[in-house]
Amino acid sequence: MSVKHGLLALLERGPMYGYQLRAAFESSTGGTWPLNIGQVYTTLSRLERDELVRPLPENETGQRPFEITDLGHAELAKWFASPVSRSDRPRDELAIKLALAITTPGVDVRAVVQTQRGAAMRTLQEYTRLKTDVGDLPWLLVLDSMIFQAEAEVRWLDHCEASLVRYEAPAAQPVDADLPRDAEVPR
Amino acid sequence: MSVLELRQVHRTHGTGATIVHALRGIDLVVRTGELVAVMGPSGSGKSTLLNLAGGLDSPTSGEVVVDGTVLGSCSRKALAALRRRKIGYVFQDLNLLPSLTAAENVALPLDLDGVRGSRKQALDALSEVDLNGYGDRFPDEMSGGQQQRVAIARALIGERTLVLADEPTGALDSQTGEAVLRLLRSKVDAGAAGMLVTHDARHAAWADRVVFLRDGRVVDTSGPLDQPEELLRAP
Ligand SMILES: Nc1ncnc2c1ncn2[C@@H]1O[C@H](COP(=O)(O)OP(=O)(O)O)[C@@H](O)[C@H]1O
Ligand SMILES: [Mg+2]
Repeated sequence: MSVKHGLLALLERGPMYGYQLRAAFESSTGGTWPLNIGQVYTTLSRLERDELVRPLPENETGQRPFEITDLGHAELAKWFASPVSRSDRPRDELAIKLALAITTPGVDVRAVVQTQRGAAMRTLQEYTRLKTDVGDLPWLLVLDSMIFQAEAEVRWLDHCEASLVRYEAPAAQPVDADLPRDAEVPR
Repeated sequence: MSVLELRQVHRTHGTGATIVHALRGIDLVVRTGELVAVMGPSGSGKSTLLNLAGGLDSPTSGEVVVDGTVLGSCSRKALAALRRRKIGYVFQDLNLLPSLTAAENVALPLDLDGVRGSRKQALDALSEVDLNGYGDRFPDEMSGGQQQRVAIARALIGERTLVLADEPTGALDSQTGEAVLRLLRSKVDAGAAGMLVTHDARHAAWADRVVFLRDGRVVDTSGPLDQPEELLRAP
């Protein structure tokens, strides 16, 4: 998901200027994706360059609204029609970190798992608390999506822990002989 | 106010070479208005913990205090009365009486105490778990999910100060499961204390604190810190 498509979708409702777009973006993501005004303006200028939006005359308070173009409308339709690719989500850091934790001597992997699980649980608690302030459906669904993702992380961590219990750690390997002597060990 | 307090609670089963340490030194306080979730791998001691809190089992050493009463110092009769009046319990295997209707099952704890108007309260409790019109059905005339909701209504009825639930959302779909958690949450917000065993993180997230058990020990707690005075008292 890009800010670009988010702004296009908002402009599909009608012309808006920067601050309005930021407020609308944040309220439609339940305040869970804060956006600074600078990001809004850089994105708008890229959209304008690509002829997906066009600026309208300034209003009486000196704000310049933007409106979506036909090209922008087509781009938005294409976006809604395509699935979101998993590879667009840079979320594999955790998996890599755990893989490294298992192979790095002296690391208490179960503690690493628990640290992550505690953090995921706290996130989940915060989202759930937001749910009790009854909101409108679009924003409840955004919230639910984040809740299910955090839950998936916890379940995966439970799975990792169960696997660890069964896993006999191999004796620590000496540093691979192929590595040059002064090779940097990632930390 | 602290409703449930566990002080250095140990529970072992068997002796000698076959000894099982189900719980190894649990300290835990649950206050009014607080819902605590207990998570942990299978065999980590979750059910044992809940059974001790509900007076269904007694610790090998340590103390369990419910509403100011040390359970170990009670007579059997006093313990039974305390369980009936103050503790609502949803068991992993429901424990509905097959010869009683849904409403009778729910009203049972009140009837045993001679409370008047128990049937009306029971029907109200059933409608809170979306079982309007099911009062006169027997457990075997209901689906697993419906039976589970009857068990929950039975645990929430009356003036319970402590509600204990062991995997109460097991047989429920995700919407109903969430509805059950909302009910539990509102019972607690209305002035009870709650402890919930679950392996579902989404359900645990309704709690104020999540306690992680492993091999009979608390390994982590997620949520706000205990009161500072609690920290000072810790060994
Ligand atoms: N009555 C019993 N006799 C012997 N061992 C028991 C008994 N009850 C529980 N245990 C053991 O105590 C440990 C904790 O059990 P339990 O509290 O049921 O775990 P959980 O609910 O987390 O799966 C397990 O190792 C279990 O086998
Ligand atoms: Mg259990």
